Amino acid sequence: MQKTRTVCKFLLIVVIAFSLTGCWDREEMEDKSYVIGLGIDRSYHKGKIKVTMLLANPEVGSQQGGGGSTEKPREIVSFDANDIIAAKVTANSVVSRIISYDLLKIIVVSEEFAKDPKFYNILNDVVFDKEIRMNAYLAVSKEKAAKYFLKNKPRMETRPHKYFQYMIDHGIENGLIPDSTLFRFFKTTDGGADLFLAMNTSAVREKHPKFKGEDEYFAGQLNASGEFDDTQFIGSAVFRNGVMIGKLTGQETSMVNILDDTTNMSDFFLDIPNPFPGKRKSFAVRVIKKENNQVKMDLKGSRPKIFISIPLKFEIMSNPSRIDFAKRKNQEVLKKQIASHFKTELEKFLKKTQKELKGAPYPLSFYARKYFGTNQEFEKFNWTKSYLKAEISVYPEVEIIDFGKSPKKNLKVEK
Amino acid sequence: MKQQRGKLGIREYVSIAIMMVGLKATEETPARLYNMAQNAAWMIPLLSAVFFFIPLFLLIKTMSLFKGENLFYVVQKLLGRYFGFFVCLVIFVLSSFAFSFDTRDYSNIIRAFYFNTTPLLVLFAILMTICAYGAKKGIQHIGSVSYLIIFYVIISFIVALLLSTQDSNIQALLPIWGAGKLAILKQSSQRISMFAEFFMLTMLVPYLKSNKEFRKGTWIAYFCVSIQTSVATLFFICLMDQSLGGMGYPFHTTIRYISLGSYIPNIEIFFFVIWIMGVFIRFAAFLYIIALMFGHIFKIKDFEYLIPLLATLYLLIGNMPNNPIEVAQELKPLIGTISGPVFSAIALLLWLSALLKGEFKHAKNKNSM
Repeated sequence: MQKTRTVCKFLLIVVIAFSLTGCWDREEMEDKSYVIGLGIDRSYHKGKIKVTMLLANPEVGSQQGGGGSTEKPREIVSFDANDIIAAKVTANSVVSRIISYDLLKIIVVSEEFAKDPKFYNILNDVVFDKEIRMNAYLAVSKEKAAKYFLKNKPRMETRPHKYFQYMIDHGIENGLIPDSTLFRFFKTTDGGADLFLAMNTSAVREKHPKFKGEDEYFAGQLNASGEFDDTQFIGSAVFRNGVMIGKLTGQETSMVNILDDTTNMSDFFLDIPNPFPGKRKSFAVRVIKKENNQVKMDLKGSRPKIFISIPLKFEIMSNPSRIDFAKRKNQEVLKKQIASHFKTELEKFLKKTQKELKGAPYPLSFYARKYFGTNQEFEKFNWTKSYLKAEISVYPEVEIIDFGKSPKKNLKVEK
Repeated sequence: MKQQRGKLGIREYVSIAIMMVGLKATEETPARLYNMAQNAAWMIPLLSAVFFFIPLFLLIKTMSLFKGENLFYVVQKLLGRYFGFFVCLVIFVLSSFAFSFDTRDYSNIIRAFYFNTTPLLVLFAILMTICAYGAKKGIQHIGSVSYLIIFYVIISFIVALLLSTQDSNIQALLPIWGAGKLAILKQSSQRISMFAEFFMLTMLVPYLKSNKEFRKGTWIAYFCVSIQTSVATLFFICLMDQSLGGMGYPFHTTIRYISLGSYIPNIEIFFFVIWIMGVFIRFAAFLYIIALMFGHIFKIKDFEYLIPLLATLYLLIGNMPNNPIEVAQELKPLIGTISGPVFSAIALLLWLSALLKGEFKHAKNKNSM
């Protein structure tokens, strides 16, 4: 009797062990192909879209040291499909492995298709898909998404998921691209009150880009030379209600990132006009934003007033006029210069959003909510319309926490 | 192999109660609340707790007259043999349907987020088998296991919510009254079914050491659960704002979204494992209580042997709806809207009949003697 029971229990354990494979959901690494990038373009056929998949080979780079697989790290497939979900199956006629969206990192849409009203409808399938995670990023490419993936050949990071992760993470930290996850996209679009920024990218360099000031570029315009990847992530595409309506440069995007408390921008470098005499017209500062902005609104009158105060910390990174910052007076001049520079730039930019984009480029409407008791009152107030006539003033609170390595090096050398 | 009747301690009882009601915050409840009162949805659990407090208080007061007896005994004693039988049957049928559709709903979640290709019936059957096995072991085992894992469940839940704050915006809670004060009040009165499980938990009175412990445990659990549901809804609103309304299962969407930096990006499996253990406990306890009801109605002493049978029956019932939407949007709310008022009405009825029969005076006299 005792023996039978032991045997029975043992058998039960064996049976349970079988279920560890996950029954029908058994997955083999070798048999899987993960879509890292998904491109969406307009198709020449009516009612269809062109889907491009950047597939990563999970076997590449997974083994330490020698003996790694000699297979290629990626595969790219483009074809016409009805939507992005059923496209998985269609792609299997070309790709030998099972296709999964589980590790999807980036969805690239061509500018042309992003301006199409159909786009939001197509992208909305993402919400219904059970594999796509909402922390995938949405990017807009200047060229066709199919071309973008083909042209994008990272030299240092051959594994596509790592490449996109690093590229995007660092771009967001530097403030040159917005933190445009699908999650934020749907949140903003469902809210309907504000504009959404998606990162702008391009793998085709413009032939003869004009030289512009620091970071005033769209993707593909930066005129760099040397041996490097063609792909650029800079600036942003503006969406209203899921349709692209315009573009912002890298600098404007970093301004939005300063204004927006919900992004993960850490710190970035910036050139500021030099207030002191000297040949060089600008000096470099590192801008650090740790605290949240204070936004006050006066929504009673016919023209709403919005007051934004922005606490910013600065580190002075260069000193072209060789000023002695130990003197209080020079410190004050510098502080004033930074504050007025930020004030004029930000106010100019916000005015531009009111005039050209016709909406706030970040969730500013959230700050307006506290002035209302119920949703009905807030809807009656009509934020989208009120924002356009609002009077916005920006107050940067400048604090210089570091004047650089050698604050006291004097003018002597120059003359 | 007769199971001996051990007793439940207060901590085991509280953990069972928290598991049975608190897990509702991880299914579609927050999304449904959002659709009712928009960004004031977090107030609904608190207000419904206040509303349901009255019937629950009266019920517990009535129950305290009959020391150490369960709900069905009290019902039959107070309402007479035939009418009492009918009321018991109603409670049993309602709980049975609630159980079938709840388990089906959880199988739907598991299938939607974690096992996409496995047939639903298989997942459902596995869930039922485990719950039946757990329930068969008896309430003492369920109690001790639930006490073992309750801290993990709560901690993982808190961690998930805290991680979600990385991307949340507290201003999503404003305007503070959301859809309007009146709407909130109206909706909260309709959501009292959220706490209907507390009504069923009164079946467990004989298993507790004393009536006082039962009373204390119920109030502790009641307080914890209403706060927990409210806080969870609040965090989900902050995280998702208006997208929450269209979301099926906010908790699972959240744990798929959050990450521990770029090195550990996808961490849902940690939360899933702990969550599913909580689910097993929840339904094992639920099934045990239903079997207890059945046993009491039809005077079956060894009701534990009925559990596999009942589980199979509920598997069949739960498998009847064609798709997850039917379960989540039609059947569950239907059961909810019936069971909330019916349970409150029964509680009131019991208290009234006890009052009219003079049971309260009896008890007083007894005490004074």
